[in-house]
Amino acid sequence: MSNISIKNLSVHYDGYCALKGLDFEACKGEFVAIVGKSGSGKTTFLHALARLVEFSGDISAPKNVGMVFQHYAVFPWFTASENIAFGLDNETKEKRAQIVRKHLKLAKLEDKKDKYPAELSGGQVQRIALARSLAHNPEVLLMDEPYGALDAYTRDKMQQWLLDIWTTHKKTIVFVTHNIEEAIFLSDRILVLNDKKFVGEYKISFARPRNESIKFSPEFNKLRQQIFESLNHSNN
Amino acid sequence: MKRFLWFILPIIVLITLWEFVSRSGFVNLALFPPPSQVAVALWEMITSGTLFSDLRDSLWRLLAGLFLGSAFGVVFGLLTGRIKSFATTLTPIIQILRPLPAVAIMPLVIVWFGIDNGAKIFSIAFAVFFPVWINAHIGARQIPQTFLWSAKLFTNSPVKIFREVVFPAALPFIIAGIRTGIAIGFIMVFISELSGASSGLGYRISITSLAYRIDQMIAALIVLGALGAIADQLFAFGTRKIFPWIKFSSR
Repeated sequence: MSNISIKNLSVHYDGYCALKGLDFEACKGEFVAIVGKSGSGKTTFLHALARLVEFSGDISAPKNVGMVFQHYAVFPWFTASENIAFGLDNETKEKRAQIVRKHLKLAKLEDKKDKYPAELSGGQVQRIALARSLAHNPEVLLMDEPYGALDAYTRDKMQQWLLDIWTTHKKTIVFVTHNIEEAIFLSDRILVLNDKKFVGEYKISFARPRNESIKFSPEFNKLRQQIFESLNHSNN
Repeated sequence: MKRFLWFILPIIVLITLWEFVSRSGFVNLALFPPPSQVAVALWEMITSGTLFSDLRDSLWRLLAGLFLGSAFGVVFGLLTGRIKSFATTLTPIIQILRPLPAVAIMPLVIVWFGIDNGAKIFSIAFAVFFPVWINAHIGARQIPQTFLWSAKLFTNSPVKIFREVVFPAALPFIIAGIRTGIAIGFIMVFISELSGASSGLGYRISITSLAYRIDQMIAALIVLGALGAIADQLFAFGTRKIFPWIKFSSR
């Protein structure tokens, strides 16, 4: 069952071609990772998918899309709970409070609900960003290098936390990163984006639930090497 | 305590020096009245009630002008900063009016509004409008795209986006604009009261010059200066209370 189906997607910015003729499919509940270097068009791909930029081609995807941006985009003028509550206007007051409580708990920030983002750590802010998206109960979650700015230790913890959430919520996730290791650890499938096109596809068959130890296995290393070569090879 | 000492000490030194120079006989006592004489004059102005009525009238003109100028400045600044049709239609008009010194429009404003409060409030609002507008305009233009995209993904209401995303995102700029506006407002309240006024601190300063009461003039100037400093600090304090997150903002 296909949840997202994209045919011949192209994006142009002021005469500059950012993506040309991409096809993409994702099943419901699938965790797809897209890896690529800076400027390869990964972020543009997500922006088109969320219909934030003009594009040509066909995108068939649910209307209710959540997005976690590269630079958090959590509003600094709202507290943790106000950020999560933003845009939940169609709910009754009680229902809204209940959703906020539930998602603060999910972000493990119940005791920080009245703190402003500037008073929280990078990992905590990023948990608000994800909790805020989930509060709108999206069918598809788009994540644009959400952990790019975190230190390695926090990044590992956030990856595990994301997998826990994905296992319970079963959202379709499209996760963009330049970190190959992160992509292998998290996803079911990896697409390599290079110079505005997909140049490779890798099925990741590590059993779930996954833990850190797989990162040291020979299969993991082999995959990493293959993807690394695919990233660099097609550049010539 | 130590900070207070460093704050008050230079003032005490300055006043002592001034008293000493005035009484030394090297300067004309009528032109350079010593602080003790100024203090007496200030006390007279307080007890006779003139200071109170001057303050009340000046403050009312200032606050009304500031409020109107700031409110229009913020609304127009956010609109021209964010919405293209507003930017293309309004910006040229505002840019033509902006270089006009507010003092230059005073005669016209007096012809239009007479010499009542209307003319004074209008000219203060006119002068305050431009720094607030340009700051709100720039503030609204520099909002990171991701904030606006996030807002768009979560809500369809443009009013909500303006109120809860565009306004707070531009707020550090708006505050800077209003603080500039407060300083300009003080200049304008003084200028507008120089001609065609019968009360206010500006009026008092000009009338004491005619009456050769330099002590009263200096007293009124001190009050005007103190008021300006207090108003700015009060505004900064107020914004920190109403928008507690502003202290994390870099601006």
